[in-house]
Amino acid sequence: MSSSALAVSDRLRATSRARHAKDRALMVLAWAALVVAVVPLVAIAWFLVEQGVRSISLEFFTSDPPGDLSASGGGIRNAVVGTLLMTGLATLIAVPAGIALAVFAREIGGRVAGSVRFVVDVLAGLPSIVVGIFVYSLVVVTTGHFSGLAGAVALAVIELPVIVVASDELLRLTDRRIDEGTRALGMLRWRSFLSVFIPTALSGIITGVLLAVSRAIGETAPLIFTALGNNFFTLDMNEPVQAMPLLIYRNALNSAFPAARDRAMGTALVLVVIVLAFNLMGRWIARRARPADQR
Amino acid sequence: MTTTSRPQGIHALRRPRGLGQDGVFRLTLRVVAVLIVIPVLWMMVDTFAETVPVWERFGIPGFVTGLRWAPSFTIYGALPFIYGTLLTSAIAMVIAVPVAVLIALLITEILPPRARTWVAVAVDLLAAIPSVVYGLWGLLVLVPVLRPFEQAVAGTAGKVVPFLAGPTPGPSYFAAGVVVSIMIIPIIAALSREVFAATPRLQREAVRALGGTRWDVIRTVVIPLGRSGVLAAIILGLARAIGETIAVTMVIGNAPKIGASIFSPGFTLASVIANEFNEANQELHPEALIALGLVLLVISVLVNGLAILIRQRFARGVGRVV
Repeated sequence: MSSSALAVSDRLRATSRARHAKDRALMVLAWAALVVAVVPLVAIAWFLVEQGVRSISLEFFTSDPPGDLSASGGGIRNAVVGTLLMTGLATLIAVPAGIALAVFAREIGGRVAGSVRFVVDVLAGLPSIVVGIFVYSLVVVTTGHFSGLAGAVALAVIELPVIVVASDELLRLTDRRIDEGTRALGMLRWRSFLSVFIPTALSGIITGVLLAVSRAIGETAPLIFTALGNNFFTLDMNEPVQAMPLLIYRNALNSAFPAARDRAMGTALVLVVIVLAFNLMGRWIARRARPADQR
Repeated sequence: MTTTSRPQGIHALRRPRGLGQDGVFRLTLRVVAVLIVIPVLWMMVDTFAETVPVWERFGIPGFVTGLRWAPSFTIYGALPFIYGTLLTSAIAMVIAVPVAVLIALLITEILPPRARTWVAVAVDLLAAIPSVVYGLWGLLVLVPVLRPFEQAVAGTAGKVVPFLAGPTPGPSYFAAGVVVSIMIIPIIAALSREVFAATPRLQREAVRALGGTRWDVIRTVVIPLGRSGVLAAIILGLARAIGETIAVTMVIGNAPKIGASIFSPGFTLASVIANEFNEANQELHPEALIALGLVLLVISVLVNGLAILIRQRFARGVGRVV
């Protein structure tokens, strides 16, 4: 009797040991996985800072690149301005459109709203290069030339689903009691949205917008088909416009030339700083808006 | 003051004459939605119309299964690029899925709450870095770093398996797969993390109370409850891998044929479009590239649709991709 009890306890101890061994193995694997993911992050940061800082100077922001990629000197003024112009215009288009679509999906409801959500989901899942091709067919083929305007439209299409999804989710989360309160007060619906629902969701919507902008600023593929790029400084959105990602791409393809290589890395550093600024700002606002216990 | 008098005021409030302000509001919303959705649908139709000459000339099966891509002879076949897309995505998934799922488990099950946020933010930052920067880093840093490894594999296993054979020029399907894996790890990790975090706390605590280890909690509660959600996360990661363009273009070596080995240079659907579009001046060349874009569109819509389906049926908790 006591011997069989001993056998049982032995077996229990053995399985317990096995389970704890597996537990430890999992720890090791999980930490190893984190290292695998974080090494590239650190490596990229190190690469950009170490190699990119050399190129940065006042001239880098105040002059345009030389016509010949292999020539040294010059800056990236046209690309910085082009990126800001196109992303700015894209955001001006996408923000009202995105919020309107989200309000529409919530207020009108039914099958039409379902199909709007479906179109938005499809857009969100599209590879950005396909968005570029779409806008090429719609704008570039129609107008007959590449332009900053086409680039802005492509970036707007990329921003749109991000903004709709963020706003939609937030409007859906609006407290039901608040909704009922506005109805009990006899508020008109447009008033409820303008004065109550959207302000309630505002910090979340701003987060969505900032994340959308941080995505759009770094996009290269759609601009190949729309903005095309340009070696000169221009404010005319009806002409081809340069952008930082395009400049990095074209110079990287010629990275056999030290000048092109340095220019690509300097621009990449500037681009990453801008993108991360928008991204972190968005996260910060989202975090601040959440109640303290959920942070 | 009789019972027959009707409450005129309220009646008037409930049924305003004409559209009323809210009627205008609703109408405006409808008009705006139509004004946005119609162009989006229109540009899809428009894009298809652009490619009609390609379909007329080669037929859909002929184009999709064509092995040769020779713009100067007006011969266009998509198969080398479909192969490249599938191969690089497969390599990326093999690396990214275990790493991402383990990171998600680490964040939700293992780390103390304080450290969770920081690790989560660090991993999310990987998703914020633009594709072109990954490409630049991949081209200048990762490709040279991977080369000794590629040579070692080609020199040993590659002697037996042609699929792993040399030469190893550097830019290749393999290099592209590795770069893409780094780019999709944060996506799969973030979505899986949400799924795991939604596991009911009582069930975890029940297993711990019975003397279970963290591994037991994961094995008996977290994984079984989160399986379909993680599957959806993986498929969304796959969709990203399939559509990844610029970073791949910069490290895949740009060869319009099916490479025998994973160390051969090749092309994916997205990267051949990006690489050749601005110089496409041969007959039907731009149209054929746009047709490749439609093939890519169909593949990514199918994959995304699968993820949406899984999420709707099994895992209501997973957020939409932002």
